Amino acid sequence: MADGRTPSSAGEDGTPPPGPDPVGHVHAVRPFLVTAGRVAPSANGKTMPVETQVVATAEGLAGLDRLSFEQHDIVAACRRPQSIAEIAARLRLHLNVVRILSEDLRAAGQLTVHVPDSGVIHDASVLRRVIDGLRAIPDSRGVLRDTD
Amino acid sequence: MTPTEPATRPAAAQAAARPPLPVKMVIAGGFGVGKTTAVGSISEIEPLTTEAAITEVAAGVDDLSHTPRKTTTTVAMDFGCITIDPTLKLYLFGTPGQERFGFMWDDLVEGAIGGLVIVDTRRLDDCYAAVDYFEHKQIPFAVAVNAFDGHVEHTMEEVRWALDVNDRVPVVVFDARERGSVRDALLVVLEQALARTEG
Repeated sequence: MADGRTPSSAGEDGTPPPGPDPVGHVHAVRPFLVTAGRVAPSANGKTMPVETQVVATAEGLAGLDRLSFEQHDIVAACRRPQSIAEIAARLRLHLNVVRILSEDLRAAGQLTVHVPDSGVIHDASVLRRVIDGLRAIPDSRGVLRDTD
Repeated sequence: MTPTEPATRPAAAQAAARPPLPVKMVIAGGFGVGKTTAVGSISEIEPLTTEAAITEVAAGVDDLSHTPRKTTTTVAMDFGCITIDPTLKLYLFGTPGQERFGFMWDDLVEGAIGGLVIVDTRRLDDCYAAVDYFEHKQIPFAVAVNAFDGHVEHTMEEVRWALDVNDRVPVVVFDARERGSVRDALLVVLEQALARTEG
């Protein structure tokens, strides 16, 4: 994080972002034109949470050339698991556009979509893992938190 | 007893990578209280910003709206993340605390393991909406007073009184610029969340 100069649109594995860097560009197309007018976030009526993880399938990556525009960019951005919030931020798309297109791409077999189980909020073992993980983070001076 | 079959390697590039379990916390508060600073202090990535379109029904509470029509507003949401381990990833979402962003809140907060309400003691009323929201939704949260320039204008008791928060809601002082300070504030929230699962 020190240099802070890494283009946020670059893939984590260092691959260049597809197409020109969108940073600073204005949307040339109205968001919901991209989704053919659809605004409902998902098929089952539940909104896909922002932290939902999305991963490209081998099929999706193999067929990248046949995808266009936003669909192409989303699949290309998901070589590694991404949350839909990250996809929206990196590709400069509205969250709901990412939700809708991700659902389409999942139905077409080009992505897998992993909606988190809402029961995790009450899962003490998960909470303990998060607590332990955070405790291991040193403060700015590299000193671990004292146990109280 | 123990099966001796060798650890099966995943079908490598064939199968899609297994994503981590994502959990999220929401960092709330009024404009300029240090939400993005707090996220940036502890996130392993530079905070990202995404815009979400929200539809609000102007119900006449907004001074500026004279027509009870639906309007679409775009709000910015800053977020970062912390990889706890390869199978677990914590996302931190910073969101405006204004009441008029209620739609955004439901969309965002559903499934959050906890919330941190950042408060600037010079503008206490900016955080009421966030406090009310977390209380109403019964999401574990703590109030974190951001010590701008290392000092706070009110005592914790005054803050607690002014916010009228339940005695069980922790109120802490922190510095949004300090990673360790943000970490400790998040831990206070998580301890609350854990206590609920046990209580």
